[in-house]
Amino acid sequence: MRVVIVDDHAIFRSGLKADLDPGVVVVGEAGTVEQAVEVIAAARPDVVLLDVHLPGGRGGGGREVITGSAALLGATRFLALSVSDAAEDVVAVIRAGARGYVTKTISGAEITDAVFRVAGGDAVFSPRLAGFVLDAFGTAPADIADDELDKLSARELEVMRLIARGYSYKEVAKELFISIKTVETHVSAVLRKLQLSSRHELTKWAAERRLL
Amino acid sequence: MTTVPVRPPLVRSSDRVIAGVCSGLAVHLGWPVRMVRTGMVVAAFAGGAGLAFYGWLWIMVPTADENAKRNARRPASPIAPAVSLPPVGLQPGPAPAPSFGTVPFPHAAPPPAGEYDAGTAFQPPAPAAAPGSGTWFRIRSMRYGKEILLGAGLLLVAAILIARLLGVEVPLGTLIPAAAILGGAAIAWMQLDETRRAGLVDKTKADQAGGWARLAAGLALVVAGVLVMVSGSGSWQQTWLALLASVAVLGGVALVLLPWGLKFWRDLETERAGRVRETERAEIAAHLHDSVLQTLALIQRRAGNEHDVVRLARAQERELRGWLFKDPARDAGQLSDRIKAAAAEVEDGLGNAVDVVTVGDTEMTERHEALVQASREAMLNAARHGGGPVSVYLEVSDGGAEVFVKDRGPGFELHNVPHDRLGVRESIIGRMKRHGGNAAINSSPDGTEVRLRLPADVADNGEGKS
Repeated sequence: MRVVIVDDHAIFRSGLKADLDPGVVVVGEAGTVEQAVEVIAAARPDVVLLDVHLPGGRGGGGREVITGSAALLGATRFLALSVSDAAEDVVAVIRAGARGYVTKTISGAEITDAVFRVAGGDAVFSPRLAGFVLDAFGTAPADIADDELDKLSARELEVMRLIARGYSYKEVAKELFISIKTVETHVSAVLRKLQLSSRHELTKWAAERRLL
Repeated sequence: MTTVPVRPPLVRSSDRVIAGVCSGLAVHLGWPVRMVRTGMVVAAFAGGAGLAFYGWLWIMVPTADENAKRNARRPASPIAPAVSLPPVGLQPGPAPAPSFGTVPFPHAAPPPAGEYDAGTAFQPPAPAAAPGSGTWFRIRSMRYGKEILLGAGLLLVAAILIARLLGVEVPLGTLIPAAAILGGAAIAWMQLDETRRAGLVDKTKADQAGGWARLAAGLALVVAGVLVMVSGSGSWQQTWLALLASVAVLGGVALVLLPWGLKFWRDLETERAGRVRETERAEIAAHLHDSVLQTLALIQRRAGNEHDVVRLARAQERELRGWLFKDPARDAGQLSDRIKAAAAEVEDGLGNAVDVVTVGDTEMTERHEALVQASREAMLNAARHGGGPVSVYLEVSDGGAEVFVKDRGPGFELHNVPHDRLGVRESIIGRMKRHGGNAAINSSPDGTEVRLRLPADVADNGEGKS
């Protein structure tokens, strides 16, 4: 597993490097938007651990790194790491193409787990991100008439609610009597909706938080 | 000038003999109706002045109903604020402008409509001068300044006309240019106030264009007036030449002064921006000093105690987050704030991390207070018995509010809890039931989750909306 860490705090980068599982090899580090785009293009890692707030570039931070590496999006996956709780920061990087978001306070084991999950093509949702999703899409399930992208299905809502309540994917699977793989499918579907939906409410929600 | 009497609005009253003019006037002036009526009749015999005045007021003064409607529709009318003030009884305040106290008519005239009607018929410069002179004479604190000045202008015109009738020679050739100069200056100076207001309210292009047009009109009037005065009754050709020369001079002066003025303006702007930044920086520095630096100092002293360090760091993080990410547009004191506050309290008290995720929000009610208390109790139990981090999830929808409190402790069986321990039974389950909600506890060796549900009040459907 080859990983690039992008964060402007050297202390955090070295701390994270020490925390990660031995199976994860850090092949590059960067502290600014320009450095990050360069390092990612050169190292072509499996996963980029990306801080949401970064100096440099045009001020777009992590989002700008993802758009700058758009050519690699198929092979390289981005996992957003942030100390920020602000919905605008989190949803902006997700909509730019990140496969998940975790807070910087989670343990090394959890980050390692998230890295493997993202590398496998799955999405990683923290409780807070699930909360943002429920806030943005509303908590009412989709009607058949609704555009598929505009609302969450009843099952997806259930999964998001459980994640927001602090359940791990395994616990969600157990609670809903489905396999972990199915949970992952639901979460990936939600991620896709979050990235692609242009529904009125989401746009309004995003505009109110100055995301668009 | 500070004691402007507050008068009831001048409206035609429903208590009437003909059209309610006299009683309306009486209410407005605070005089007895009988006196006003007698005065009106007496005036009617004085060459029909009373009749004309009565007719004019009949046309111009709205009835009480009309007035109410008009004020409701256009509250931004320049007079509306004065008119819409609650009438403070009917006390006969001092006359609005002592110098004109003997002449009740001009300032009693109903505003906008009356202005044009009265002004244009007599003397062109007067109406132009009147609207702006409020500023010009530094009497903006006087509410009826415009009207009083208009009245003064009209009186002046009347005096001149009477003087001419009596055979007194009035130097009209000097008076008219002088009036033009005054009017022009007034129009130009009006801008000062206008632009300041525009800067405060809304700086639109239209306003600026209007301002420029006004400046140009004022300049033209002043220049023309000065020229007519100086050149006497010179020929048009001469006037044109002089006009050209004066415009050239003005242009030259502007050209010389413009860079200086611009530089001055820019310096002022820079200085102001710098001061704003400085204030902001000082505020941030003060906040960081009070919060983060103090906590860092505490952490260094307690470095040996991991529990304390984590607790201090969490508390400081929470405080800083609240400061950085708070949404000033949102009302404080909502349900989510209360749940977060309860979580913070538990976190501070027991040292376990309590993560709160909220979806939707609602105003607090008494029933929500019970929900917050029950949630707090559940969080305390989760932190105390679960040991690890606690997850709290609040969801508010149209159907009601739900709170989930989850820990990863060893779990417990409700029927194994001793009967004298009232925490779960009374503070959580009983409390929720008493307020029309319910509580469910789902415990397994992997952890415990308390689920509190408070349905939206059927009688009060609005409360569950987020």
